[in-house]
Amino acid sequence: MKARTMRWLLSAGVAGIALAGPAGVAQALESRSYVVSYFSQQLNSREGDCPGGVNPDDQAGQNAVILENLGYKPDEVKAMMAEWAKGGDGEQRIEAIINARAVIDGQQVNAYTHPEATKDPGLKQITSKVGYGFNLDGKDNEVAFVDPQTGEKGVDNQLSRAIGCNQNFRGSWDAPSAYGEWIWVQLKDSQPAWLITISGEDIDKDGPVTVRLTRALEYLKSNGDGSPRHFMTYRVDPDPRSHNEFKGEIKDGQITISEHKPLSILWNALSSPVLNLKNTHLRLRMLKGDTLDGLLGGYQPWTEIYFAFSHNGIVGDRPGLYWAMKKTADADPDPVTKQNMSISTAYRITAVPAFVVDAPQLRYQSAEVK
Amino acid sequence: MGMIAMQATKRSLFKALTTSCVIGLLAGCAPASDTAPAAKASAPTGTVSAAADFVPAVAAAPRLTPAQYRATVTDIFGPTIDLGGRFEPDMRIEGLLAIGSASVGVTPAGMEQYDTMADTIAAQVVLNPKNRAMMIPCKPAAENAPDDACAKMFLTNVGRLMFRRPMTNAEVTAYVSAANVAATKVGNFHEGLAMSLSAMLSSPQFLFRAPSTIKVKGQLELDAYSKASQLSFFLWNAGPDLQLLNAAQKGDLNTAKGLENQVTRMMASPRVEAGVRAFFADMFHFDDFESLRKDNLIYPMFSRQEARDAQEQTMRTLVDLLVTNRGDYRDIFVTKKTFLTPALGAIYRVPVVNDRPNGAVDPWQSYEFDASDPRGGILTHASFAALHSPANRSSATTRGKAIREVLLCQKVPAPPANVDFTLVNDTTIHKTARERLSAHVQNPVCAGCHKITDPMGLALENFDGAGAYRTEENGEKIDASGTLDGKTFSNPYELGQALKSSPAATSCLVDRLSAYALGRKPARGETPWIAKLKADFAARGYVVPDLMKTIATSPEFYRTAPIEAVQTASAQ
Amino acid sequence: MTNLTSRRNILKGTLGGAAVTVGLPFLDTFLNANGTALAVTGQALPTVFGTWFQYLGFNPGRWVPEKIGAGFTNNIELKAFDPFRHRMNLVSGANYFLDGRPVETHRTGAQIATLGGIPTGRESGPSVDSVIADTIGKGTRFRSIEVSLTGSRQSYSKRAGAGTNPSEVSPESLYKRIFGPDFQDPNASEFKPDPKVMAKQSVLSAVAEQRHEIMKQLGASDRARLDEYFTSVRQIENQLAMKLEKPAPLPACSTPGAAKEIEPGEEVEQVSANTKVFSSLLAHAAACGQTRVFNVLMNTQGSRKPGSTNQWHGYTHEEPIDEKLGYQKEVTWFILWANQVFADFVHTLEQQKEGAGSVMDRTLILWQTDHGYARTHTMDNLPVITVGNAGGRFKTGQHLPFAGDPATRVGLTVMQGFGVPMGTWGALSNQTSKPVTEILA
Repeated sequence: MKARTMRWLLSAGVAGIALAGPAGVAQALESRSYVVSYFSQQLNSREGDCPGGVNPDDQAGQNAVILENLGYKPDEVKAMMAEWAKGGDGEQRIEAIINARAVIDGQQVNAYTHPEATKDPGLKQITSKVGYGFNLDGKDNEVAFVDPQTGEKGVDNQLSRAIGCNQNFRGSWDAPSAYGEWIWVQLKDSQPAWLITISGEDIDKDGPVTVRLTRALEYLKSNGDGSPRHFMTYRVDPDPRSHNEFKGEIKDGQITISEHKPLSILWNALSSPVLNLKNTHLRLRMLKGDTLDGLLGGYQPWTEIYFAFSHNGIVGDRPGLYWAMKKTADADPDPVTKQNMSISTAYRITAVPAFVVDAPQLRYQSAEVK
Repeated sequence: MGMIAMQATKRSLFKALTTSCVIGLLAGCAPASDTAPAAKASAPTGTVSAAADFVPAVAAAPRLTPAQYRATVTDIFGPTIDLGGRFEPDMRIEGLLAIGSASVGVTPAGMEQYDTMADTIAAQVVLNPKNRAMMIPCKPAAENAPDDACAKMFLTNVGRLMFRRPMTNAEVTAYVSAANVAATKVGNFHEGLAMSLSAMLSSPQFLFRAPSTIKVKGQLELDAYSKASQLSFFLWNAGPDLQLLNAAQKGDLNTAKGLENQVTRMMASPRVEAGVRAFFADMFHFDDFESLRKDNLIYPMFSRQEARDAQEQTMRTLVDLLVTNRGDYRDIFVTKKTFLTPALGAIYRVPVVNDRPNGAVDPWQSYEFDASDPRGGILTHASFAALHSPANRSSATTRGKAIREVLLCQKVPAPPANVDFTLVNDTTIHKTARERLSAHVQNPVCAGCHKITDPMGLALENFDGAGAYRTEENGEKIDASGTLDGKTFSNPYELGQALKSSPAATSCLVDRLSAYALGRKPARGETPWIAKLKADFAARGYVVPDLMKTIATSPEFYRTAPIEAVQTASAQ
Repeated sequence: MTNLTSRRNILKGTLGGAAVTVGLPFLDTFLNANGTALAVTGQALPTVFGTWFQYLGFNPGRWVPEKIGAGFTNNIELKAFDPFRHRMNLVSGANYFLDGRPVETHRTGAQIATLGGIPTGRESGPSVDSVIADTIGKGTRFRSIEVSLTGSRQSYSKRAGAGTNPSEVSPESLYKRIFGPDFQDPNASEFKPDPKVMAKQSVLSAVAEQRHEIMKQLGASDRARLDEYFTSVRQIENQLAMKLEKPAPLPACSTPGAAKEIEPGEEVEQVSANTKVFSSLLAHAAACGQTRVFNVLMNTQGSRKPGSTNQWHGYTHEEPIDEKLGYQKEVTWFILWANQVFADFVHTLEQQKEGAGSVMDRTLILWQTDHGYARTHTMDNLPVITVGNAGGRFKTGQHLPFAGDPATRVGLTVMQGFGVPMGTWGALSNQTSKPVTEILA
């Protein structure tokens, strides 16, 4: 194990691996790099955590509820849903009613682009006290979770509370939510990979380290069976918008960061163009086979999360999710309205070993011709 | 067809046909006047005579290999021509497909494919208006009727390149009249012409390289055109180009000086790389990659793409060392220099940066393993480790056998029947291959052969069945030490060094290369020549292109025995 | 020219000896004992190619057989295929490669499966079935027949350029199209020999003597090799001669009774019932030489149980994985149902008797799907299935793990097996020039 790791490090050195980072980098004796092999919201669904069951878990049931909320009587709803189920023009007619259920100045408008103009359907939220994440504000309160892995109290993960009672967001540590797995599969082959580099005196021992999270120019490379390929080489995108560096430490084989700065990394239109976190927290366990597994958390602007949901067409009452997040948001109060603009969240992150090198600066051609 | 593709076609045709116009030898400028055999044009003067105790054997008549067929079609008609078919499998004899190709006929299924390909190629050449405009030097008097003059001009033009000699008058008459009959039946000149061209493409004169002989000063040797073919397929793995055919016609190949000029010209051409690749692909059994399969669960990294890359890595390494740098053949066993793709880098656990955009077709980078890296030499390439392993594990015996048979030209007997392999396969009691094999060879029947194969194969146990490096097997440390012909080694790299100093390795290369060039195993009477080649190879520092040149300029290479002699011999 | 197989020679050879026919029904006297060829001329019955596209894949871990190669056993989800397992080849672990293009879910996979790549713009190459139809379907009344089992006229059968062959959704109208007033008894039709075939025959004849000249250059053992070559050439000549004869009668041709459909739609009972009618029509059409290529699209995304508004596709994304079972229960119900529909389809072709055999004996069906695992829209670990050996052109009964190879290898193999002169197929990473040699006979 040690011998192999040394080879990996040695070869990296030979190839002239420069440590990626926007600023000058302290001379580290050792560094190991990884490519992110899974990234999605971490949820923790448990029996009975949504009183009376989850929100309607299929499009038909969901539509029926929306129509009821719009004021249609039960037999009207039944007839409308029968029309919807037949497909064709009838389906389109009902969909149009549902889509335009937002109202601005008496005019019906698209509910997904104007969620604020819809009526809050009051989606159910998680009532469980157990959930993954980080205690971001250092306090405990009645909406905080206890993390089942670390035992930490006061864990802030309001996003999982807001969306967790919808079938697409039912998931656990071992079985990711359908949404999480779906979005990862969509993205992994078509968005530049994310890279993690850990640098320190001796990474096999406890001690201070530097953690870098950057974006690659290449996509994640997979094996024929779809599993992430180990020890591929990736170049760091020189674009500084995706360069993040944190001070941290290794303790008992777990990497954490002690510097809780904001994090920003280019993502993807399907999820959100940029992942923005404040008060960033990270914990990564170093597993057998040189892989990493853990959580990345912090406060994220919930409107960015909403607009991802709204345009990627997930099943469920999307404006309802807007209201759910708006109500549970727990950071960044707007100076005027006092509405919290960010929500606490935690993302599952796994990574496999990789070689990471600096890409040469891209040369941009002048737009001027002649 | 896109613009670029068209240009490529144009260039190639230009090469094949317009060059002929410039030098005024082929139809298009002067229709088919050179149908007479070359020997008459210029009587052979005889090359430098062979060693006195040399006794030649009958020349081989190989069937074109798939690569040779493809190269010939590309040379004559351009790279955009789609063959539209596939080839029946080759046969390996005496370690080489090249020898097998001189022992195969054509099966009915194979003939169907040749026939289909011939029709497809002819249609593209003659019926595609853009191609036609460039490839056919004349227009028929009428599109809906035969035109013998135009057909003759085209067919003699391409016939010389396809048959690798001028067509005989009888052949010209037959193919022109075929075009005539067909054009009459379908009422279209070009369709008739395409059918005649197709018949030429499926003719034995095209598909087989049948040697023609001539007597010079009482000794039988290949005639000038057969010399040209033998030379060209050896050095380029393709048919003779116009310059070589012209040299044959002028009788140049029958003089030592003329032959040397042509060999020098051909060795200086970039096309030698194709020839060297073809030889090593044959010698190293790379055709077996076609059917190589790995268990996906055990080796998720090794898919068909990696198999392709692994072959190409070894090929690039060989070409770079032996051709580009004219290095010592023995260094193939130890060289740290190679070429990698990012995908192979993952198997080797080294960084390989592809500076090209995502999805670029050429991801190759030159790479040098550092001194502390256990890799070096082709035995440590994934191509060797993977090709000579079963789907789900490594095999010291298979690899040892491959080293003996492929690299040292030694014969390892097949295992006897009724052997109990339980011990070799059970990893619960004996964790490493070394332990399992030593338990297995308690059986004295097996011990004899395993002594030949296993010590070398075990040295490669650090590489798993797909070429990844490992230091342990089932939790037990791997011992990679052993001996080869009295030389001890303790790891794969040292095994390479032992092979480097083994005289059998260089001797084997000469045996294989000469057999490859001849299309047959050298006969007993030819051993003085082979011995001379070996001495020369050593004296000149084991430079493979020099060895190729020596073979190509040897009079012995072109000497042959009368076919009657064979019939007598086989009757005995 | 004495080598050419004349009708009379074969009659002599085949019928001269024994037991031709007292007491056999008239039609079957044309077939040899195996029902594979026509005794009168020795011509093999024409091959038939079919495609079956079924959306939404299978459940991971429930369909890949344990055993590799011949003699595999169907895993739990494919048990419905047991009756024709010997006719199957099951490819596992195949990939559709995106090359950086985004997944258009349920569409991209179908494009790669049928076209060999993701088309850019409107133009796209021909689909596998069109390519094969151009080789084996010439001269038949319908170059190919497309049916869709779920009521939409969608189709993946594309001609070169942008043309799509639309699907027939109604069994009744398909019946009218094939067996309506325009139907002509194939055994009574006129025959005109192809002048191109005659021309090719005379070309071979004109150069025959020159070809034989090569023998003079060769010793005894090489002459034996060339003898094999000339024997093989004679086979080509025989084939040409056969093409110049009136095509084989189709003795097993019969007209089916008028088709009865239930209203086409997406409920499972509608699909099951109409598929039975479609399969019988296609079997009769093949038996009567009306077509040699058919395409079946089973657009399962909208499939639902009677009275339910929940569709299969919805379930794939919305249904939780059953913790005890380890898979989605409803989704699995639909998979098993769809596989049974396919199994019934194959069974119908097997019931279309021709002598001792059936239409299925000369047919190969290529079964493909859009995603490896519909729940997350994976493009890897895909199944590809072939059923049938097309009159001995393919080897069957094997499980072939692809280990990440492009799924297009199967398409290439099938095209080659049907005699399409194609060496390379597909685009970018989906391009392949390696047929699955284990399948080609």
